[in-house]
Amino acid sequence: MKRYGEHRIPGRLFVVEGIDGSGKSTQLLLLHQWLKAEGYGVVFSEWNSSPLVKDTTKRGKKKQLLTPATFSLLHATDFADRTERNIIPLLKAGAVVLCDRYIYTAFARDVSRGMNADWARELYAFAVKPTIGFYFRVPLEVAMKRIADARNGFKFYEAGMDLGLSADPDESFRLFQGRILDEYEKMIPEFGLTVIDATQPIEAQQRQMRQLVLAKLTQAKQLRVAP
Amino acid sequence: MKETYDVTLPGEAYDDLVGKLIVIEGTDGVGRSTQIRLLKEWLEEQGHAVLDTGLSRSGLVGKSIKRAKVGHTLGRITLSLFYATDFADRLENEIVPALRAGFVVLTDRYIYSLMARAMVRGLDPVWLRNIHRFALKPDAIFYLRIPVDELIPRAVFARGFDYWESGMDLYSTEDMYDSFRKYQTALLDQFDRLAEEFHFEVVDARPSPAEIFEKLREGISRVLSAPEAPPPDVTAAVSAASSAGAPNVAAPNGAVEPGPVRVLDSSGRSEDPRNKAQV
Repeated sequence: MKRYGEHRIPGRLFVVEGIDGSGKSTQLLLLHQWLKAEGYGVVFSEWNSSPLVKDTTKRGKKKQLLTPATFSLLHATDFADRTERNIIPLLKAGAVVLCDRYIYTAFARDVSRGMNADWARELYAFAVKPTIGFYFRVPLEVAMKRIADARNGFKFYEAGMDLGLSADPDESFRLFQGRILDEYEKMIPEFGLTVIDATQPIEAQQRQMRQLVLAKLTQAKQLRVAP
Repeated sequence: MKETYDVTLPGEAYDDLVGKLIVIEGTDGVGRSTQIRLLKEWLEEQGHAVLDTGLSRSGLVGKSIKRAKVGHTLGRITLSLFYATDFADRLENEIVPALRAGFVVLTDRYIYSLMARAMVRGLDPVWLRNIHRFALKPDAIFYLRIPVDELIPRAVFARGFDYWESGMDLYSTEDMYDSFRKYQTALLDQFDRLAEEFHFEVVDARPSPAEIFEKLREGISRVLSAPEAPPPDVTAAVSAASSAGAPNVAAPNGAVEPGPVRVLDSSGRSEDPRNKAQV
């Protein structure tokens, strides 16, 4: 088993992290479009995408059977499945792989749920270290404002309702996301995450992102697929 | 009083676990389930409430693991994590509540089998030890040990070759016999190492089942008579059993908050862990 930072594979892995409403998914979508247009072999890998584990997770969430431990382990199982069957083979084949959320999301959530931080980090030791891990930093209030219109109430685990922080889903969400923000801040130096100020205009953030990504791609010209 | 291998799960306190956790370990076909059946009867005759449990029996993921194994679809890291999830679910929802209510918990394999199987498949020993660090340290681990030459006729003549027990995912170019032999040899080697590290009590599994049973009874009697915990609160256990509402079923987890009843699939079959515990 290769450990985090030990994989020597030709592809490039770019991941985006940040709380809901940070705009990270929008930025990743724009990056994806650009890389495709530029002719790179680029693949979008989604969180929670494996069918067998996904069904179990879905059922556990729906019936609220999950404790912090089983929540954490099931997500790690799903991520392992994705790593073994999707991310690693793609990177070996030389693809540019994009992930909306990565292991740092798991660390932030698990530790916010009271799981041991060192245990959680070692749990994901099999993960490939990203070429760049982007962190979209945004104040909680800005993020809350952005998602307030976009959706209709929060889901049970999303709002951290399993922690009993508040009986009100909106308030629980706010408290839980606050904890998650704190965890992200700790991870910036620990994992060398690249911080993007997510209060800037969308275009400015994207320009910055493309510049950083391009610098990593010019070192690997073979990633470009023939038109 | 129980402790873990240094990671405590959020919201758990283990200082009130008055029951005993007894692990029966050993490779495939060594006779673990026969012994557990005998031990359970014997313990119940002695007046001990017994919960017996084993790998991939959790309400949360047990069935999914079985499905995954039929299709051989999961990678090695993924399968290890799936098993760890199953284990965590049973630990929190069955084992800990039963120990809290004063049960003797007999478990057919534990984290050691999970680690041994995964190490044979090349997974990182440090990583494997870490993911299982939240496990409770058992009061005793009995390891039924048998040399591979004596295992082969037992396992094979009793039930034929099994894909996983033969390690066919590892040695797919071999025939089942060669593969079985190689795989079980590697597994025994891992078990021997774990036996030292985790202080297994090694029981020679070559004699007759009756003789092995005798040895296990001796060992378990010693564990049960060890001075330590005060007797469980009988009134709490009784009122918990009656509030569970299921006839002839004691509810080990009724001693804490009664958990939600689990309905696993659309056929409406109830998989409440309480139903597995009988007094």
